[in-house]
Amino acid sequence: MEYLVHILIFVSIYGIIALSLDLVVGVAGLLSVTQAAFYGIGAYVTALLLLGTGMNFFLAAIIGMIVTAVIALGVGVVFSRFKSEFYALGSFGFNIIVFSIFLNWQSVTRGPLGIPGIPRPEIFGFQFSENSAFLVLTLVILAIAYGVYTWIEKSSFGRVLKAIREDEEAIKVFGYTTSYYKLVIFVISSMLAALAGSLFATYITFIDPSSFSLNESIFMLSIIILGGLSSKRGALLGAFCLIVLPEVLRFVGFPSDIAAQMRQVTYGLILILLMLYRPQGLMGEFRL
Amino acid sequence: MMDIVVQIALNAVIAGAIYSLVAIGFNLIYSTARFFDIGYGALATVGGYSVFYFYKMLNLPIYVSIILAIVISGAIGWLVEKLVYKKLRKEKASNVVLLIASLGVLTVIQAIVAILFTSQFQTLSKDIGGQTTYEIFGGVITQTQVLILVSGLLIMTALSLVLKYTLFGKAIRAVSDDEEVARIVGINSGRVMGWVFFIGSAIAGIAGMSVGFDTGIEPVMGLSLLLKGVIAVIVGGIGNIYGGVLGAFLLAIIENLGAWQFSGEWKDAISFFVLIIFLIFRPQGIWPK
Repeated sequence: MEYLVHILIFVSIYGIIALSLDLVVGVAGLLSVTQAAFYGIGAYVTALLLLGTGMNFFLAAIIGMIVTAVIALGVGVVFSRFKSEFYALGSFGFNIIVFSIFLNWQSVTRGPLGIPGIPRPEIFGFQFSENSAFLVLTLVILAIAYGVYTWIEKSSFGRVLKAIREDEEAIKVFGYTTSYYKLVIFVISSMLAALAGSLFATYITFIDPSSFSLNESIFMLSIIILGGLSSKRGALLGAFCLIVLPEVLRFVGFPSDIAAQMRQVTYGLILILLMLYRPQGLMGEFRL
Repeated sequence: MMDIVVQIALNAVIAGAIYSLVAIGFNLIYSTARFFDIGYGALATVGGYSVFYFYKMLNLPIYVSIILAIVISGAIGWLVEKLVYKKLRKEKASNVVLLIASLGVLTVIQAIVAILFTSQFQTLSKDIGGQTTYEIFGGVITQTQVLILVSGLLIMTALSLVLKYTLFGKAIRAVSDDEEVARIVGINSGRVMGWVFFIGSAIAGIAGMSVGFDTGIEPVMGLSLLLKGVIAVIVGGIGNIYGGVLGAFLLAIIENLGAWQFSGEWKDAISFFVLIIFLIFRPQGIWPK
């Protein structure tokens, strides 16, 4: 039972990330491969604030989101000028830069040693120390992320984004400043990813740079590509499949380091096979 | 002070030679197949580990190991082209689709290598520390590094001569100009494309084993080498072989200067910073085609 709760927490955290990433990749059609960087900034800022000042989790998470948003704004201003492949390449670069900051800014992040002993969230004296209680918190935040996604998708803002995805030149002719739209969705997406990072840090109670590498961003991308782009149900389904699948591999009895590599083989193959035979994913409305 | 400058220059030249190789192979594939082949990086890993397998595990002579490794890297590159990219091109898949598929290729190959050989850092040379070293104006360079430099220059010259003067080179240039027209005039574009991937991947394999002999190998080396190559290509001017070489040396100089000023761990961050600066201010590179 405890194990099931653990898996569900992970599915929900990755569900939030998948929804956030799909807003950029699926709805707006920008191939961003840097979500793990924002996820990591959220996790590190929250962890450092909780340990350094002992402030409330929710306040720390909000500050984490604001810090991430400011960084995403700066990066986004630069990125929104790039086209398809160059956008992807630039986002690779940002992820690698952030990763090496986590790894090498040792006086703050403790580098490869990571940050242990991060406290679990607390509100009005109630601590989410039980995993089942933490699951409820994660589900509530997942529901909020789902709501935000739905609201954006239905709004006129979301319709402009989809138009940019389909034909940016055409929508420019109608007088929309497309770079502004791309920037806003990028920032919103980064904030949701940062929130997922805060949850991750306080759930595991330990973070180190390895959780926020470029490989992790590729993993996040495969979640939404498997689920199907521009589909919120697809994002959740993809998160479910790709989190549960490695667990199955573990039950088959591979040793843990091989299981970790098998996970990579699996999602790499998923990317190749989907591109070859089903580029729209399981339930996507948009194909790249 | 003088010593440091010479040493930085030497380090930059060696790194530049390796990045140039990666950039050349990448440029060749990019200008023919017209997409960002991220999976190309994995062939550097394959090259490094093939040498490791034949030379260190099976104890074959070094030249045999190197030749086998070059052929294996080339063959795997060729196979991936035939199994994955060819079909995608036929379906007129967008570049982004090809890029994502190649991301999958990279992930799969690196992970398989890690399963076969563990993800530990390993060295290729058998006599560590026992290498002959040369002194040039107070800087030190090893025999391996001299060999890397010489073979790098040879490969670059050979490739540019082949592309410029042979019929095969003309066929490659025809296919990169317009695949359809090339087919109409009777060029077997599928075969040319296969060869391009074979040669490009073999060059990546050589770059991978060079890094292995110089420092060492690990499965994730492919991605970092590839990214250096791509940055070199963009800095130099995409599609232009000489531009790629220029970009590679420029990148190596900036990186080594940065490593001297700050510390070696920041190399990756510095090179991406260079990339982003170029993408903003001069996306066509220094020497556009």
